[in-house]
Amino acid sequence: MKKLISMLAVLTLILSVCAFAGAEGTTYQVGILQFVQHPALDEATRGFREALTEKLGDSVVFTEENASGEVPNCATIASQLVAKQVNLIMANATPPLQACTNATGDIPVLGTSVTDYQSALEIELVNDATGINVSGTSDLAPLDRQAEMIRELFPEAKTVGLLYCSGEANSIFQIKKVEEYLAGMGIECKRYAFTDSNDLASVTQTATECDVIYIPTDNTAANNTEAIANIVIPAKVPVVAGEEGICKGCGIATLSISYYDIGRKTGEMAYEILVNGADVSTMPIAYAPQVVKEYNAANAAELGVVIPEDYLPIGE
Amino acid sequence: MSEKGMLVLKQLYKTFNPGTVMQKTALDGVTLTLQPGDFVTVIGGNGAGKSTMLNAIAGSFQIDSGSILLSGRDITHLPEHRRAAFLGRVFQDPMMGTAASMNIEENLALAARRGQRRGLHWGITASERSAFREKLSTLDLGLENRLGSKVGLLSGGQRQALTLLMATLKKPELLLLDEHTAALDPKTAEKVLRLTSQLIRENGLTALMVTHNMKDALALGNRTIMMHEGRVILDLNARQKQTMTVEDLLAQFEQASGKQLANDRMLLT
Amino acid sequence: MNITQLLNQLPGAAAQGLIWGIMAIGVYITFRILDTADLTVDGSFATGGAVAAILITSGVHPLLATAIAFLAGLLAGLITGVLHTGMGIPAILAGILTQLALYSINLRIQGLGTDLGSRANVPLSINKYKNMLVSLRNVGSFSIENPIWLMLLITVVLIGIMYWFFGTEYGCGLRAVGSNQQMARAQGISTGRGKIVGLMISNGLVAFSGALMAQYQGFSDVSMGRGAIVIGLAAVIIGEVIFGKLFRNFALKLLAVSLGAIIYYLVIQVVLWLGLNTDDLKLLTALVVALFLAMPYWKSHMAARRMKGGKPVV
Repeated sequence: MKKLISMLAVLTLILSVCAFAGAEGTTYQVGILQFVQHPALDEATRGFREALTEKLGDSVVFTEENASGEVPNCATIASQLVAKQVNLIMANATPPLQACTNATGDIPVLGTSVTDYQSALEIELVNDATGINVSGTSDLAPLDRQAEMIRELFPEAKTVGLLYCSGEANSIFQIKKVEEYLAGMGIECKRYAFTDSNDLASVTQTATECDVIYIPTDNTAANNTEAIANIVIPAKVPVVAGEEGICKGCGIATLSISYYDIGRKTGEMAYEILVNGADVSTMPIAYAPQVVKEYNAANAAELGVVIPEDYLPIGE
Repeated sequence: MSEKGMLVLKQLYKTFNPGTVMQKTALDGVTLTLQPGDFVTVIGGNGAGKSTMLNAIAGSFQIDSGSILLSGRDITHLPEHRRAAFLGRVFQDPMMGTAASMNIEENLALAARRGQRRGLHWGITASERSAFREKLSTLDLGLENRLGSKVGLLSGGQRQALTLLMATLKKPELLLLDEHTAALDPKTAEKVLRLTSQLIRENGLTALMVTHNMKDALALGNRTIMMHEGRVILDLNARQKQTMTVEDLLAQFEQASGKQLANDRMLLT
Repeated sequence: MNITQLLNQLPGAAAQGLIWGIMAIGVYITFRILDTADLTVDGSFATGGAVAAILITSGVHPLLATAIAFLAGLLAGLITGVLHTGMGIPAILAGILTQLALYSINLRIQGLGTDLGSRANVPLSINKYKNMLVSLRNVGSFSIENPIWLMLLITVVLIGIMYWFFGTEYGCGLRAVGSNQQMARAQGISTGRGKIVGLMISNGLVAFSGALMAQYQGFSDVSMGRGAIVIGLAAVIIGEVIFGKLFRNFALKLLAVSLGAIIYYLVIQVVLWLGLNTDDLKLLTALVVALFLAMPYWKSHMAARRMKGGKPVV
């Protein structure tokens, strides 16, 4: 066994040198590791591919892999991409970013759909840059403005229920921030955490005791908006959502970023690194280029919420 | 006063599935005393409570009321695995008494430590191994050369003989034999019965043997009891057994129970 | 498609296979030795990762953190064991209940020291914790740092310990419990206690493996154990199907389990290299496991047919 492994290791070494030599030239090998099949993440990957393809045409070759939501697959695929000696890796969501960052200290890694790089990588950002071979885009819609939106639309609200999945690091991060901002405005917050789609309905039911419910950018909630809508709409409790998809299903209003946009932005960053030799370690983490106030017309009418004029209806 | 090997059963009651349509009174006040060295054969019809009585003694379930004393010690509420220290058991099903996925010597080594604390010493010692080989050779089944064979590969008769050896390897205060030859072919059954008598005699064991063969019941042991509907209805001593024939026994049964002996597996020859 | 790339990927598959192999040995103990299917595994794997991650980030040496993760796994097994033997809950259900409970507990463990008290993901960057036992970073390197060497050593030592333990008086008793409970009780062995101890050892190993996995992939996540039991069973069965005829000795059987895990990952790696869409990965996993599960059945079927057909026709 040992012999076999060491033989393989030697072979690997020799062949990887050959592979590296072969990769030089005008084509760029780009690996994509997406965490799970999910509309928002799919959009980000699409934006990334389109941006790079527009600029590089045939000279960029993608290896796109999906971990199908299984955490250990991230390490498998990350080591595969590193072994393949790709020129750059795009990691779509937090576990892929962590796995890729650990798999390589040399190949540039660009994350997207990651909310908070600081806590995902346990790293101090200097001038918004990581200082290591990692940069990327955040899917964070400005949370202070989301908190303000709640006050703007519902000035009478005394308690806000924060509904989120306890298993999603990103959600917890957002809840914490929003809670701070709302507390600063003198609004009381209560947390309602569900563990998965099974207890989501009953937790949502409890949350309707609040005046308003806030749902952050949360994958589990995004996949179950119908179930949430069936509870909150009859209960006449308005939902302010962290992203468009959730708002479309069960919300009243949202401050929306487009995952396609951040995917494109990540693609542009990749171009800078691959072609113009930009240094990934000093590249600042980028945010969505534009934020839009949006509202769900049907739900607003149903609950009789008056929407200011600067909001755009979703779905046009 | 009691001696080692003395068994006292006082008014054992056991009802299975009480309060349901499946309700069945299996033991209905069984009272029995075995003197040390008694070898008692037990007969009776279907559902008479023979096996239930043995299982009650072994602790497979807790009885509803009554008490069980072995060598003067009250074992009524002891869990099954704690009673194992005093009991040797052979079951009707040859698969039951041995661990099929372990080999012969491992099974014997387990039996040699019956009821003892099991520590982190190696499971079998070299001296044990040669002792096992010697004991196995007395069975005359060729097992002494197959110490490393998985027990699952042995025939029913071989497994039953091995179980018997295991049950007596560490001398039990009481040996419980539950129709242990019923699943064997006549020739093998005879061989295992001969081995049974020999082991009981050599070790001076107290034993309870359930059998469906009336002839065997009369021929073996120094005492025979007959059970019916959860009670002991007949108790024959050694002298009474000598003069008793199978026909007499059947007549006695009808007289004591008012019924025909109903046991489709009962062998009258 | 480039064979060079495939060869480059093999060390990664081997390292990950060796880590999962330890978990699979844990599964083997319950599945094959105790003859119970224990679903605690998905939870206790993540518990191991959570405990190790939280300790390493708070400055504990990774070696000690991994050892403590093993102890946490023992505890998880104890819970399932008590639910099963002490409260009469069927083993499968007891395992599912513990697995469920562990999800919340793992969130709490990972949240220790944070102001929220609960956390889904703990990063363990090799950039920061350079003394971690194994890391994905070094899997392509040809040095002592390569996690494959340490994993090989751990696997060999572990198999040695297991071989010794299951050969002792106590270990033989445990095997008897798995083989024939009636016989075990008749020999004075408490089957309830035996099952608890077996479940504890099994989940201890699973958590140990989870601790190594967290260090290897560079983070611990509450959902990292999802599907672990499937990989564990796959490894056990692949090992048996391929090496069953060759490996009779107990130590070699455990080795076969570890090899089974490596083969599982090699197969996945090759299939990915062949260009399979990763969206179909779970389907493929199910197929691989079903195929290897069916093989012993087919073999016996074919053997029976051959015997029939082999009879002389007179």
